[in-house]
Amino acid sequence: MAQFVVIGLGRFGSSIARALSEKNFEVLAIDREESQVKAMEGIVSQSVVLNATDEKSLRELGIGEFDTAIVSMGETVEDSIMITLTLKELGVKQVIVKAKSELHAKILKKVGADRIVFPEREMADRLAQSLASPKIFDFIEVSETYGIVEMVAPKKFANKTLADLKLRDKFGVSAVAIKRKIPVSKPDGSTDFKEEFVVGPGGGDEIISGDVLILLGRNLDIEKIRKL
Amino acid sequence: MSEEYRDLIELSDFYILSQRYDEAIKILKKAEKIRKTDPRLYYNLGIAYEAMNEAAEARDAFRLVLKLDPANKSAQEHLDRLIEE
Repeated sequence: MAQFVVIGLGRFGSSIARALSEKNFEVLAIDREESQVKAMEGIVSQSVVLNATDEKSLRELGIGEFDTAIVSMGETVEDSIMITLTLKELGVKQVIVKAKSELHAKILKKVGADRIVFPEREMADRLAQSLASPKIFDFIEVSETYGIVEMVAPKKFANKTLADLKLRDKFGVSAVAIKRKIPVSKPDGSTDFKEEFVVGPGGGDEIISGDVLILLGRNLDIEKIRKL
Repeated sequence: MSEEYRDLIELSDFYILSQRYDEAIKILKKAEKIRKTDPRLYYNLGIAYEAMNEAAEARDAFRLVLKLDPANKSAQEHLDRLIEE
């Protein structure tokens, strides 16, 4: 099981530490502020108050044994550069660093960062994408021209089978899966949903209003479906 | 509560559980012309819209439920989920 160390427990650092712990990974959380470290107690495997710019302390903790380090000290540019350099020298396989600016990112790459993240920018891009295309939940670029998209089925598709729709012949895309919310009536009279996932749907599978389709195809063809 | 109104709500329950959401919404809009103060009506409307992934309409409907019945836990849960999506 991969081991992670998260350095800097601000908003981003604590969120990633928490998310990794929820996925049952071993996480060591480090911050120089005691209050931030205390807040992670019981959530991550281990949390330590430590000044991560101090190489000796990092070495004593055995940081070099960790597979991945996430450095989230966006506000203190110099510190994150120093820490990245130290982590690479100590032998951490993968160092992921939160950057504050393009220049910061450039320096981080020079000192050996394996991956740079701009959480605010990435979140803004995702939000902009979801505002521009509210019916598209996710998009994975497979190549420059091909992608996999998770989108709400166009209204015109409702109550038609995949055989009726002839997605491959008419649009050149394949339905990889259908995600559907099934309403379930509860004893107290309320209604909840359970999610059904039809993987590799066949021609006989019918699209129900609100179904989410996972489609694979050329980006241009997917766009044609989105515009329906 | 008139019998006609009650029948419409029951029919909307049936349509929702049969995943015929367009029909459920049509029936609920008809019921709304008879009575505008029943949280159940807007709850079903919210469920139908949520199932159709019409998040904005679903949020509006659940907000109306909470206006009429502030203690409705399920409507609050659905609304919270839709806001966080």
